[in-house]
Amino acid sequence: MRERLEAALRASDAEYTDIRIEDSSSSWVNYRGEDLDSVGSSKTLGGIVRALVKGGWGYATFNDLSDLETRVREASESARLVGQERSHFAPVEPVVDELHTSLAKDYRQIPLAEKVALLDEYNRIILGHHDRIQTSQVAYRDTFRSIWYASSEGTYIADEQPDVWVFAVATARDGDNVQQAFESSGGQEGFELVEGFHEQSEAAAKRAVELLSAPPVTGGTYTVVMDPHLAGVFVHEAFGHLSESDFVYENERLKELMVLGKRFGPENLNVIDDGSLPGALGTHKYDFEGVPTSETYLIRDGILVGRLHSRETAARMGEAPTGNARSVGYEHPPIVRMTNTYIASGDVSFEEMIRDIPLGVYAVRTIGGQTELEMFTFSAAWGYMIRDGQVAELVRDVVLTGNVFETLANIDVLGDTIDWVPGGPGGCGKGGQAPLKTGLGAPHVRAQNVVVGGRQ
Amino acid sequence: MIAGQLVEKAMQAAQGAQASVRHTESSSVSFENDQLKSTRSAQRTEIEVKVILDGKIGMSVTTDVADLGGVVGRALEAAQFGSTTHYTLPGPGASTEVRVYDQGIVPLSKPEMIDLGREMMGEIKAYNPEILVETGVNKHVRQVEFANSAGVAFREDSTDLTLYASGQLIRGTDILESGYGASAKRRQATPKEVAGKAIHWFRLGERNAAIRSADMPVILTPEGVSVLALTLQLALDGKNVLLGSSPLAGRVGEDIADARFSYSDDPLIDWASRSSRYDGEGVVRQTTPLIEEGILRSYLYDLDTAGRAGAQSTGHGPNREPTNLIIDTGDTPYEEMVRGIDEGLLVHRVMGLGQGNPISGEFSVNVSLGFKIEGGEVVGRVKDVMLAGNAYDALKDIAAISDRAEWVGGWFTGRMPYIQIGKLSVVAK
Repeated sequence: MRERLEAALRASDAEYTDIRIEDSSSSWVNYRGEDLDSVGSSKTLGGIVRALVKGGWGYATFNDLSDLETRVREASESARLVGQERSHFAPVEPVVDELHTSLAKDYRQIPLAEKVALLDEYNRIILGHHDRIQTSQVAYRDTFRSIWYASSEGTYIADEQPDVWVFAVATARDGDNVQQAFESSGGQEGFELVEGFHEQSEAAAKRAVELLSAPPVTGGTYTVVMDPHLAGVFVHEAFGHLSESDFVYENERLKELMVLGKRFGPENLNVIDDGSLPGALGTHKYDFEGVPTSETYLIRDGILVGRLHSRETAARMGEAPTGNARSVGYEHPPIVRMTNTYIASGDVSFEEMIRDIPLGVYAVRTIGGQTELEMFTFSAAWGYMIRDGQVAELVRDVVLTGNVFETLANIDVLGDTIDWVPGGPGGCGKGGQAPLKTGLGAPHVRAQNVVVGGRQ
Repeated sequence: MIAGQLVEKAMQAAQGAQASVRHTESSSVSFENDQLKSTRSAQRTEIEVKVILDGKIGMSVTTDVADLGGVVGRALEAAQFGSTTHYTLPGPGASTEVRVYDQGIVPLSKPEMIDLGREMMGEIKAYNPEILVETGVNKHVRQVEFANSAGVAFREDSTDLTLYASGQLIRGTDILESGYGASAKRRQATPKEVAGKAIHWFRLGERNAAIRSADMPVILTPEGVSVLALTLQLALDGKNVLLGSSPLAGRVGEDIADARFSYSDDPLIDWASRSSRYDGEGVVRQTTPLIEEGILRSYLYDLDTAGRAGAQSTGHGPNREPTNLIIDTGDTPYEEMVRGIDEGLLVHRVMGLGQGNPISGEFSVNVSLGFKIEGGEVVGRVKDVMLAGNAYDALKDIAAISDRAEWVGGWFTGRMPYIQIGKLSVVAK
């Protein structure tokens, strides 16, 4: 493949060109209620050429690999239509590397029948849990992606990226009251990650039934304790996206808001993005521009100290590339993305954290989050009221919203243990590219004056 | 025809088969942060095979035209462990002509598309040079070939053109974002119209206004109708009905909304972005009334779900995805709606929709672009406001529907009027 890519790159007359080819095979099993809903497999072969001319980018994406030279020429012609200034592209050392992944239990060798049988076990656990369980969804997917990347600067990387997950949703119903709860497990490993999911299947069913009798939370402003999964999503959605330099570099006002050295939170707040963490969801040795991934402090001791870069944004802002140019697949060029973003732990136990809260909300896990610059909203999967320093009744429909700068400043206590959101079907979305696997981690986090949506 | 060859190959082992081959050639240009950023060409091939073997279904997809034997083989393998067939493949039916191919889109070049993008940017900059602008133009030319073993064979060519313009205005820590996108199967919206719709919302947001927490009248703009549309989309999905997770299950013929509310799915509108003659399972498309004068009429079905439910496919295969959704207009001019409200909220864009439990109807969303109505006038943009309520209750509490509608695009596409809801819960910080 290397020679084929390098030969095609020679057809380019752009300042810089790269090609990425992906060969991805996938299989899936889906149960909806009693029925096996779908079983299937896919095989995708495709590629993308990027060319840079005078600061302008041209792209060509394709499934037909028979004429790579034509695609290279298309991309450079596209770039030429755009370019009108000088290019900004941070220099990096060319890399030649071939990476191989070995899976403990290789799902490509496991017959579909075995995958179906395992899912059937999980599905039966949910459906048999309680007579209020209305229906279920249990889904499995494995993907094995081989990637070949070559650039006109001499970089050549062959990589293999596995992904497997199981996802279970339990739906409970009592008249018009319909509640759902889910669990997932997955990551960049083998079939072992999706085995032994029986207890989690049961937990989803149990929680869905319990939520039927939980009241919606009363809207208002509360002291909120976020569990590690929710806090991980919060820091990713509300803060992490603002650290992606492509948002910032041409936006003078946003540059002022995100000026390095500015205080963003309390002394003990540290936020880190690290694409090199072993075993995490967003870990890869190199990003999609061949830049090695690394540990990047975004907030250190409460102060904004860094941000995430592609080679282009690094050059435009006069900073070093961080290895954060990522893409969900061959139909998309890499853009600045997080890898594994987490809040470092503090030193306070959960019990201590809630002890002095007279009335608050303990918000647990998340079923989604969204931001529009400084505004964020995200939904807890479920929650509990905190009353007189104790975890009290279960509540549902807990939606947190606010301004990220205010909320980060209102963080006052950090828990002593980090936990990571498990793998699953979801991922991060940006610029039409989703779902991108990212690691989301945090300890328990307490913040004052958080708006919790709901009816008053 | 490759689709026909695939079916023939599959039928050597299977008792039923269907195949589709989609070729798409696309190009796009995008302006970001006031500058032309990139242009792109894309060539895409998707081949899908579904087989029925001993009463079980298996499917497989590939992008590789050289892999025709492989894709059939993998579909047959999947069928051995597949889900039970609950339907028979549709035979040929009389389809309704709908115009989806505009010869005028095909020759549109990238330099011309760049000019369209630049014109939209110029319009917004002329209104306010401080706004950071993003615009773009996407063009697709698509060919779909379909065949099944029951005798359906067709080819449908279509075109798509999308123009979008959006911007961001930052004042201190105050960030205002607005935009508009127009998609159609022919050259339809002008750059001036698209930019004009984005500018409209910037104008309304020039001033901020404070609002208190209370239950109050709310007007949903055509885009803001998404608050109701998401719940309806989930609740009318035949699969959710079959599984009993839809609160609208078993309620066809019942009153579920105000008598002025009529809602339908119409894939047969010439040039509309989701129009087509056939669905992805070879079923002839038709107009589906979903709610007529407040009365629930139908759900959306594909072949499999219809088969399991003992119903007919409504031509929404394979995943019961709606096409062009239409809410009928009412008789109240929008201006009159606003004039009649002493204290209320105009909701255009929300954040966090679908994060809660949307099929239950409950919503609690952040109003990312909304405006206070005071003394019969829209007085300014509100910030840090949540809107909460129940979509089913809101459908019964419709106070007025506007006499004109607009096309909206995105995760739900269709023609929507302004809808005034009697009261919803507004929570301000």
